[in-house]
Amino acid sequence: MSANVLICDDSNLARKQVFRSLPENLSTNVQLATNGEEALEILRSQNVDILFLDLTMPVIDGLGVLQALKDENIDLPVFVISADVQPEMQTRVLNLGAKAFLRKPIQLDILNEQLRTHGFL
Amino acid sequence: MNAFDLTEDQQDCLQELINVAMGQASDQLARYLDTFVYLKVPSIEQVRAEHLFDSLNEDLAATAIVSQGFFGYEGIRGEALLMYEPQDSHRLADLLGYEAGELTFDEQIIDLSSILTTTFLNVFANQIDNQMSYSAPRLLSGSLGSVNKHLQQQAFNWDLALKVRISYQVTDYSFNCDMVLLIPEEAIINIKTVIDRILAEF
Amino acid sequence: MLDALSKNISDQLNTGILILDHDFNILMWNRFLKVHANKSDKDVIGNSIFKVFPELPRKWFERKLSSVIQLKNQSFCSWEQRHHLFELSHSRPITTDSDFMAQNCTFMPIEGENGAERICILIEDVTDVCHYQTQLTKVLQELALANRIDGLTQTFNRKHWEECLASEFSRAVRYKQDLALIMLDLDEFKVLNDTYGHQGGDIALIETAKSINELLRMGDLFGRYGGEEFAIILPNTDLAGAEEVAERIRIDIANNIIEFQEQNITVTVSIGVAVVNEQDLRYEDLISHADIALYQAKKLGRNRVCIAKKKVVA
Repeated sequence: MSANVLICDDSNLARKQVFRSLPENLSTNVQLATNGEEALEILRSQNVDILFLDLTMPVIDGLGVLQALKDENIDLPVFVISADVQPEMQTRVLNLGAKAFLRKPIQLDILNEQLRTHGFL
Repeated sequence: MNAFDLTEDQQDCLQELINVAMGQASDQLARYLDTFVYLKVPSIEQVRAEHLFDSLNEDLAATAIVSQGFFGYEGIRGEALLMYEPQDSHRLADLLGYEAGELTFDEQIIDLSSILTTTFLNVFANQIDNQMSYSAPRLLSGSLGSVNKHLQQQAFNWDLALKVRISYQVTDYSFNCDMVLLIPEEAIINIKTVIDRILAEF
Repeated sequence: MLDALSKNISDQLNTGILILDHDFNILMWNRFLKVHANKSDKDVIGNSIFKVFPELPRKWFERKLSSVIQLKNQSFCSWEQRHHLFELSHSRPITTDSDFMAQNCTFMPIEGENGAERICILIEDVTDVCHYQTQLTKVLQELALANRIDGLTQTFNRKHWEECLASEFSRAVRYKQDLALIMLDLDEFKVLNDTYGHQGGDIALIETAKSINELLRMGDLFGRYGGEEFAIILPNTDLAGAEEVAERIRIDIANNIIEFQEQNITVTVSIGVAVVNEQDLRYEDLISHADIALYQAKKLGRNRVCIAKKKVVA
């Protein structure tokens, strides 16, 4: 069974980096969004199983997406992948319901370990 | 399109390198200063010598500018300008962990500039397998009028520079500072070479 | 071999090198420092930097060094902010007036054996730079002053005085504050010049400027407007106040006896006074009101003060 995956990042390079790091079972149905607003549109209208979310983005940033998901009762596992690694930011993200915080640039073994922890591997 | 323009992919890659550097630098900064630094998407654009002042003045009415040169291998070099708003002065010493009266305002912003520039550029350099050296930071001017004069009187020996602008907002202290990296023409070509190498890996 | 070579080079450098452990004890220094600090190895090596150099601002220094260790970054200290950190002798004791070496210091994190944290401090002698920069700043200040001053009378020159008026005028209009202007002209200056020669005329101008200066308050702005014409800006002064000042100036000058080549010269002045009013749009309006009043004073027989007529708006 393959999951529906959404990668949201304003950087093309970063989206590629995440996409290439995904295990096989997560890399067949992948959609991309370049900012929080685009991501929310997809999340509201389609069934997404897992979201990889950047924080520092134009239009609606990652925190905005997490807040909207919470407000609109859209429940799905979110893995935040961000360069903003300040402890306070990590706490904020987890408090808003994210499953995990991964630091950029994404590292394959750490991603796999997190996916395994949360039952995606 | 001229030789110094970045392609969309190059621009995207540079932006991501900057994002990562910005993130790690603010983490170090946040730990050192014991506060939280709010990050915004950086801006990257070209600037012509004759428009430098206008472009610096666009978003921020800076009253003080500190300059620090940086240079690394492979011809990566440029100048970092740290621009401060007037109302930021009174709590800087507090933020830096010094006692009031222990430092002059000039010394405070020079100290902070050096920390902001070097933490950012060290992480940036690390990502592109480079290493930076720095000149001592210098206060260009303590007031906007004279910065204006300083920059306008100068006949620059460059026409075009790559301008990267990063805003630091320290929320606990309601303190804002813009870091503007200016990279001269030949160094842009060198950066493009480095970026192409990274892009080739993907 | 490299070690011996580096030691040789570091001892030839005209830059001080100091290496500290993370408790700020001195592990190494080079010859430059040894010579300029005039201390011996046994009093230095292994001792706390604060014991060896008690002049250091300890708290500041500790915070600076802790940032170097924590952020693994270079840090700097320039003579422009702190003339010197270490009290060292310098290489121009005769031809400069500096007591201690002016310094640019660089603090760098370095790794010692087994990854131990060390701090390297580089101390550059910039006494020369400091000396010339200080002189340059002084000359620039003098130049800026000379640019504003009339050489003969030592009052503001016309250009600077008008700049002052422009800014005082816009301030007065913006904040609805009083502002008065006095314009005065030496009476029959041509006759005075013909009688005593130009040297006599110059003395009269100098002495007149001197007596006016003594009557002015802090904040009044006094300039030479033209040949024998002077002008005074009186911020926050109403018409009555300005008239009083003008009258005192007139009397004082008329009573002043100027000695020139064993002769006594007396001069009188005619004075026009104006205050800013709501119809004035530009500072030039204020000048022309005072000028008209001055002309009036001349016409009415000189050695008198005339007030600009307030325009009545229909």
